[in-house]
Amino acid sequence: MIGVIYKREILDHLKSAKFLIGFCLTLAIAVAATVINVQDYGRRLQDYRAAQRDLPANKFDIQIFRPPEVLSVLVQGKDRTLGNKASVNYMNIPDRLTGYMSERSTPRPKSLSGFGSVDFAFLVRVVLSLLVIFLAYDAVAEEKQSGTLKLALANALPRSSLLIGKAAAGLTVVLGSLLAAAAVAVLIMMVHPAVDLSGADAARILSLVAASALYLTVFYMLSLLVSAAVKRPATALMVLLQLWIFLVVVYPNLGVSIAENFYKLPTDREMAEKKVAAFAPYGDELKKVQAAYFGGDRSQPTGMRYFELQSLRSRLWNDVDRELSLRLSGQLERARWISILSPAALFNRVVERYARTDIEEYDRFLASVERYWKTKYMDFQVLFYKDLPAYRKAATPPFEHPAEGTSEAWAATAPQIVVLALLALIFFAAASTAFLRKDVR
Amino acid sequence: MRTIIFREIREYIQSLQFVVLLLFSVVLFSANGIVFARKFQAENAAYSAAAAQFAPNTQYLFLTRQPSPLLFLAEGGDLDRPASYDMKAKGYISASAPRPRDYKLPDIPKLDWSFIVKTVFSLYVVLLGYAAVSGEREQGTLRLVLSNPVGRVRFLIGKYLAILAAAFIPLAVGCVISLGILGVSLPQILTWGLASRVLALLALSAAYLSLFAFLSLLVSSVMRRSSLALLCLLTAWVLFAVLIPDTSGILAEKFAKVQSDYDAAKSIGPMIEKEVWAKIGALQGRIDKGELKTEEAVKAEADKAFEDGQEKVRFFEKGYEDALAARASLARSLARVSPVALFQYAAEDLAGSGVDREEAFREDLRAYSREFDAYVLKKMGKLVGQSNWSFSTWVMLNGKEIEIRSPQAEAYRGGMSDFPRFVERAPRLADGVKGAAGDIAGLLLWNIVLAMLAFAAFLKADVR
Repeated sequence: MIGVIYKREILDHLKSAKFLIGFCLTLAIAVAATVINVQDYGRRLQDYRAAQRDLPANKFDIQIFRPPEVLSVLVQGKDRTLGNKASVNYMNIPDRLTGYMSERSTPRPKSLSGFGSVDFAFLVRVVLSLLVIFLAYDAVAEEKQSGTLKLALANALPRSSLLIGKAAAGLTVVLGSLLAAAAVAVLIMMVHPAVDLSGADAARILSLVAASALYLTVFYMLSLLVSAAVKRPATALMVLLQLWIFLVVVYPNLGVSIAENFYKLPTDREMAEKKVAAFAPYGDELKKVQAAYFGGDRSQPTGMRYFELQSLRSRLWNDVDRELSLRLSGQLERARWISILSPAALFNRVVERYARTDIEEYDRFLASVERYWKTKYMDFQVLFYKDLPAYRKAATPPFEHPAEGTSEAWAATAPQIVVLALLALIFFAAASTAFLRKDVR
Repeated sequence: MRTIIFREIREYIQSLQFVVLLLFSVVLFSANGIVFARKFQAENAAYSAAAAQFAPNTQYLFLTRQPSPLLFLAEGGDLDRPASYDMKAKGYISASAPRPRDYKLPDIPKLDWSFIVKTVFSLYVVLLGYAAVSGEREQGTLRLVLSNPVGRVRFLIGKYLAILAAAFIPLAVGCVISLGILGVSLPQILTWGLASRVLALLALSAAYLSLFAFLSLLVSSVMRRSSLALLCLLTAWVLFAVLIPDTSGILAEKFAKVQSDYDAAKSIGPMIEKEVWAKIGALQGRIDKGELKTEEAVKAEADKAFEDGQEKVRFFEKGYEDALAARASLARSLARVSPVALFQYAAEDLAGSGVDREEAFREDLRAYSREFDAYVLKKMGKLVGQSNWSFSTWVMLNGKEIEIRSPQAEAYRGGMSDFPRFVERAPRLADGVKGAAGDIAGLLLWNIVLAMLAFAAFLKADVR
């Protein structure tokens, strides 16, 4: 019996004008956004490769470049905005990445026109979730209004079967659209010469699509609930749109806004004072050594001490910088906690993680830079004072940034996935209850 | 006519959309007042502290931008721009600290009035108006209404005015709340100048929301089913509010032929190599040939090479920044296809924020930089262009090792009571209106076209 309902419902959906409009819009956005983003990725990758090849480097001042992330084509996240270069020398452990132009120009203007960007994640978060609402709002309410609900249930058809059949059919149509959009986007990516997808990338794309499916399921179940609870389809649609505006537009932004304004961060001045205080015990010695060094004392112990003191200063300053970085992570955490019940915020966090375009990936990269500085780079620089011929002969140690394993990303996103799944379950359970108790006359 | 309007308004006020809009309006405008009052207080405190510490100096200056109290109207990217600048002789101006500081948070739109109107209110105008015609037709009441001696034109005008009124009541409530909060925490900003800007922005909002009302009436008259009308309207809204403006930046990057960040960075290295290091490296050769005989001559040549080289680099950087600005302006032109962008840019002009304001500020900085240079030249007798890189090297002259270092600006020891002060021009509303005129005209054009289409569609509509 469920099978019959399932088929009938799917046919109904596919024939409807709203599905056609929504589906065409989805495909159009998927194609346009991916084509634009993949070209942008190609340009950034070209720059990165050229930078690694051409930009002058010496053994003392080492330039580390961050490659653009291939999955940023699908989920832009922070990838384009946070810079791509770190200058490493013994006087400085970078706490932020800059653009190729270093401090001379700001990384990349946050947005050129005062607006954001469109990608696959946007398509799912906004467009497809809206389409879900339009496909599902009349699932029960419409049949009730037109009187067919009574007739359908007059057959030997349990209410639960009807609801499950409807839900399964609606979800099939929605997830079918999602898969079509994802397939189109991935195809466009694969055709582009700059894109080279690895096995791990494929696993991440699949996870990304699965998370999208879960997110859309939450909205589908919510729509089903409202449709079962409300008498008229027009009312159901209005209620759902209000909920959508709240959950997708207002709530996530409000969370960030509160965290932005009510989370205490140290000021620039306090940071500067902390840095001065951290190095104060060595200040006099540095002045003395510096004076000796520039006074012409180029002996090995003086040079070595001068080097040691300067690198110690960068370590101490780095500790202060890290404190700020942790505070900023705390601020982000606060925003996330406030928005914990917003499917849109949860979804964003999960897909950015899968696409390696979230702030955690940026922090991981900076941690790699710091590790490089503290181990390989410093070991190498010490040679200059201990064994100059060996230093001259040795090649600059290579920088390494191990890629995050896919299983780690899964583990990290498990809580969000669980919350999303719980939301879907709760909405479905509530929808079933509402429908079972519904007066179908 | 009046009966229709009042009937419609009463109906809208009882609708769910209206209640939720009122609720959102209260929440968002309260948040707006609180957030911007705090931001302005914090920025203003930092500004006053910096201004109090300002000390005349002929080597370098630290300048802080005066925070604008009008950002709550339209922030226009202002809070993400550098708040302070370092200035040195020969037009060296650079941002002191990168912004935003809380870079880990997701980029969200700032909660200014223009965002609330641009996004939330336009959406609710659509939600209020989508069923204006099609809904009545579905219920069969359209026929009944029009069987009374009510002209179709009047009917539609009544609907239109009622939609606008239903959107404007929550807007007015919200604005009063926001102004109330700001007025309590920052009484100094409540001036007639602010009042005129608020009124101008409300008029602009009316023109903007009105076009969405016409659009809703148009689609509602054309479509037979309300739900389909709503879907089409939401599609149009996503297109105007998100897709067009959000792709314009990335499209401009494609069309404006600007060097990439990397290419620009790449050309600077060789430039410094050729203009500075090559010339300084050649000094020893010129000494050996006998071209440079005294220590002063050698140092003067090194200084000249260093300063000329820097001048070239600075010129190049200026050109690059101009190209970036031109690209940003192209992005804005592309975005203007959408009325949402027209509204946004006009609102920024009226609030005295946005790129025009930034450009005006940079002009002020450049003018002050010239004053500063003239002052330094008067006191010190010479201008030394300083940069953030330096060098020191040795050459042999007449068997003696002499050190050459990058030139350093020197501090003037005497009194500097006549030191020029940096004064920013305050943004004037008249300039804002002038800047916004094109965008406002665009909004009016949208209104006219959509109104004509809506009336044409409704007059020809089959009301059965």
